[in-house]
Order: sequence, then C-alpha cells, then structure tokens
Amino acid sequence: MTAVGPQAAVQVDIPPPIRPRERGTPLEWALMHLAFVAIAAFFLAPFVWLFAAAFDAEATAYIRVPGRLTLDNFTYIFRELAFAKALANSAIVAGATTLLVVLTVTLAGYGLSRLELRRKGWITFAVLLLQTMPLSATMVPIYGLARLLGLRNSYLGLILIHAAIELPFLVWLMKGFFDSVPRQLEEAAWLDGRSKLRALFEIVLPVARPGIAVAAGLSFISAWAEVLMVIILVDKQDMKTVPLAFYETFRTAGGYVEVQYGLVAAMGVLYLLPVMAVFFATRRLMVRGLVSGTKGL
Amino acid sequence: MIPGGGGAAAPARPVPRDALRRQAPYLFGLAPAAILLAAFFVGPALWAAYASLTNTALVGIDAARPRFVGLANYERLLGDPDFANVIRNSVVFVVGSAVVGQFVLGLSLALLIDHAERRGYRLATLAYAAVLLAWVNPTVIAGFLWVAMFDFYNGSLNTGLALAGAGPVDWLGQFPMLSVVIANTWRGAAFTMLIFLGALKTIPSDIYEAARVDGANAWRRFWDHTLPSLRPIGALALLSITMSTFGTFILIQTLTNGGPGTQTEVIALYAFHEAFRSYAIGYGSAIAVVMLLINFAFAIVYLRWSRARA
Repeated sequence: MTAVGPQAAVQVDIPPPIRPRERGTPLEWALMHLAFVAIAAFFLAPFVWLFAAAFDAEATAYIRVPGRLTLDNFTYIFRELAFAKALANSAIVAGATTLLVVLTVTLAGYGLSRLELRRKGWITFAVLLLQTMPLSATMVPIYGLARLLGLRNSYLGLILIHAAIELPFLVWLMKGFFDSVPRQLEEAAWLDGRSKLRALFEIVLPVARPGIAVAAGLSFISAWAEVLMVIILVDKQDMKTVPLAFYETFRTAGGYVEVQYGLVAAMGVLYLLPVMAVFFATRRLMVRGLVSGTKGL
Repeated sequence: MIPGGGGAAAPARPVPRDALRRQAPYLFGLAPAAILLAAFFVGPALWAAYASLTNTALVGIDAARPRFVGLANYERLLGDPDFANVIRNSVVFVVGSAVVGQFVLGLSLALLIDHAERRGYRLATLAYAAVLLAWVNPTVIAGFLWVAMFDFYNGSLNTGLALAGAGPVDWLGQFPMLSVVIANTWRGAAFTMLIFLGALKTIPSDIYEAARVDGANAWRRFWDHTLPSLRPIGALALLSITMSTFGTFILIQTLTNGGPGTQTEVIALYAFHEAFRSYAIGYGSAIAVVMLLINFAFAIVYLRWSRARA
C-alpha cells in the first residue's frame, strides 16, 4: 500500500520521470486506437444512453438519437415527483456530512499522527480493519440502532451515518498527510505562544490542504451517492434524498414490468452531474487518494 | 482496539503524569471520530454478534421477547441448503467479477494506457476517463443503466446483436450471473487499473533499456521484468477488490434482486432478505457475522501483506 498511500498523494505536483518516447509502427498505432475506441464504447455506452434518454420524449431502453428533444421528463419529475425537495434534502445532507467529516478527520488524523503511544500501531490497524467492514453486513443492526435513537427520517441520522461511513479511510488518509508535515513547524509556533489548536489551524492545516480537499470531495461524493443507508433510514416522503427518489422511481413506479426510462434517466442525470463535477474538478488529487483504499459496495 | 480505546491501549508500564497530559489534546482530537466509529461500526457489529445468539424477530412474539438460543442460528445455517447456494453464488460472483473481470481487465487497461502514454497516443485519455466515470458513478445508477442495457426487447445489447444478425439474448433471465458479473466488472475495473498505473510508473525505465540491450523482445521484457515488479501490489489490489466485491449488495439488488429464483442471491442479499422479508433478525444476524468473519480474515491477510511491503 505504501506505493500508492497518502505519502504518494503528497507528491502530486512532482512530474513523472521523463521516459524515452519511441515511435510505434502504423499497425501498432491502428491496433491501439481500435482498442481505445472499443474501451471507450464499452464504458461510455450506458452513459450515452442515459443522457439521450433523459431528453427523449419517447425514451426506450436502447441508445438512439432522441426522436423529439424535450425537457418534459425534467418538468415531470419536478412537478409530480417532488424532485426539488429530494435535491434540497440531498444538498443539506451531503453538505453537512462534508463539513462534519472534514472537521472530524482533520482532528483525528492530526491526533493520530502526533500521538505517542507504544501501541499506536494497533489503533491504525483497527481503523483499517473497520474500513474493510461491509456496510451490507451491519445494515440490520444500524436499522435497529437508528430506530432506537429516533434517527430514522431525520437529517441528523443521515448526516451521522454518512459521516461515519467515510471515516476509517479518511482518518487513515489524513494521518498520512499529517505524518508528512514536519513537527518543527508547529513546535516553532508553540514557542511563539500559539495554542496547539491555533498552531494546527494556522500552521499545519495550510500544508495539509491537498488532504483536506480529498476528504471534502470524497465525503461529498459518497454522501451524495450512497443509497443503502437511505433505503434503510428513510420512509417518509418529505425526507427522501436523490438516491432514494431515483431508486423508488426506478423500482416501484416502473418496477420490472415497465420502467419509465425517460423519467428515471432524467433523475439519473441530475443525480450524476454533481458527482462528475466534483470528481473531475479534483481528479488528480482524488485518484491518488482513492486508490489507497477501496470504495463502494 | 478502537481509536477511542487509545487510553486502554496505553502502555502497560505506568506513564509519568505529565507525559499523559501532553498526549491529552491528541486523544481529544480522536474522540469525535472514535464516537462515530463506535456507534456505527463497532456497536452494530457487536450487536449483530449478540443478536445472532437469539431468536430476535421483527414481528410476532419473538419481537417482544427475544430468547437466547445459543448457537442454534449457526447450526441452522450449516444445514441450510439456501445458504450453501448463497455461498456458491458469492464465490462465483467474486471470482467472476473481481478476480477475473475487474482484475484482468484492470491490469490490461493499465498496461495499455501506460504503453500509450509512452507512445504519446492522446486518445488513451478518453479511454481512461471513460473507465473512471463508470467507477465514480453511483452504484444504483449503474444498476439502472445495466437494466436498460440488458433489456430483452429494447436493450442496447440486443439491439446491437440484432444489427449483427444475431438473435436476442435473455440476459437477465437466462444468464443472470453472467449479467451481474459484466455489470460489476464495468463498474469496478477502474480501481485495479489505477493501482497498476501507479505501480507501472514506479518501474525505472533503465531496467527495460538493459533488457533491450540484452536482446530481450517485448514479450520477454514484460514477462521477466514488468510482471514480477507488479506482483506485490497486485496481490493487495486483488485482496482489496475481493473484499469489496464480497459485500456487493446494491448493484445486484437493483439488477436482479437476487433472481431469477435465487440464481444471483449473494450473501449480503440473503442476510437482507432473511432480516427484512422473513423478519428473522437473529438468523439474518448470524449470516452477517459469518460475512464479517470472512471479511476480517481477508483484511488481516491484507494488512499483513501491506505491512510487509512497508
């Protein structure tokens, strides 16, 4: 893990070693480009369909140029399916989760980095062990817990659980970032009479900014996209977030029998765009950060 | 063991008081994360372990007063033909979509893109971005996209086959496991690709130069130099995707819901169905505990190997 760990993430700006460039034969050029097109086709085809279907008045399951371009699908989901409310709920949950995660993992990552205990390795080990725990295994107890604490159908419940999901990986990631910040920096600040907390905010944090950007981007994407916990925690109409609205429109309003592709695709587009925007805006940082841990269900 | 247990994990030897005081701010820093992790990771896991020893149910008489039943749930699990089927499905799904699909495809993509970068072929960026997009795409959208792709009458796959003059294939009906494997390979190939792309960049190119001077052809250079240097990181990537694939729930839930019948019912779906459809929380918890134990076994091997590399 070291090769792609947070240490590597710090070195984002260092250019890769210059390698001698060799010319390929025309045959190689042709074969390689054929492969690129095939790969892009396989991975992009479903998205091409998604965007085409969202603007198609008579969307079907296959890829086609929209017969009649329309925004009807979008107007319908806002007028009839209360999608604006779902978007607002998702924005609140994902925004608050991002704030909570950034605050929590900054403190914890810094604490874990600077803590001096003989068994500190065990804490790091435990954090990593938690990271490998599949949510699908603990969803039943989490449901029970949320019911017990009255956290179902509430922003607080969704924010807490979505923050917790990203913690193990990001605590560990941030610890790596802080490990690479020399202690002399903050010790000098202490000597100047700053408190430990002020030294952290004024001296250490600016250096660890790439790590915080990864933590913020990743927790936003995760909280925006995650659906399993929302399915378990929310069954009230006005608490629905985007993933649940999407899932329900897809599974119940259409079900297996007749999926209303245009409507679901329109929701899908609005569900996907923020994820794409955040990910591709912070692509380099995110890729370095993400490869050091597993993602998704 | 949890971060909050930092105090408990303190050295057995008595620590001077002021040394502990110096650590206090850092322990406070760990506290919020520790509380959240205890509440939503450790607590639920422990509760599942406890519930698996009871006959807790969501409704009925057992819901009000769960009884302690010892290892009865685990005994039932061992003799449950459905569970044997579920384990078989999980193994096929993990081997098919993680070990074969994501790993082999991810490695091939990394080699191809790395080679393209060396040649200066710009179009590689398009392929790279496409693979990444499938990966950051929310899983439930992935499920929906592939429901449409696999659709029998109108799906893009069958429409494409028809253009090629081939008959329609009943993807989700006749080849459900193959279908979920394809969808999950599509969704997750990026992770392995990224890991290997990172690793390939760390191979110094003078190794190749030396091999070329020795007259080794491209295939020999790949076999003798590239592959061995990728092996350690490859082992970690493989374990990592095995763990995340083993927990797959949403993708299969949206694509097939475990069906037709129980042909694509993997372990996470089975635990969910037992708990929420059959209301057998105790039994569902026993399944969850088995899942956690299998995952921890993989995780410990993973952490050992990654530490050996450090």
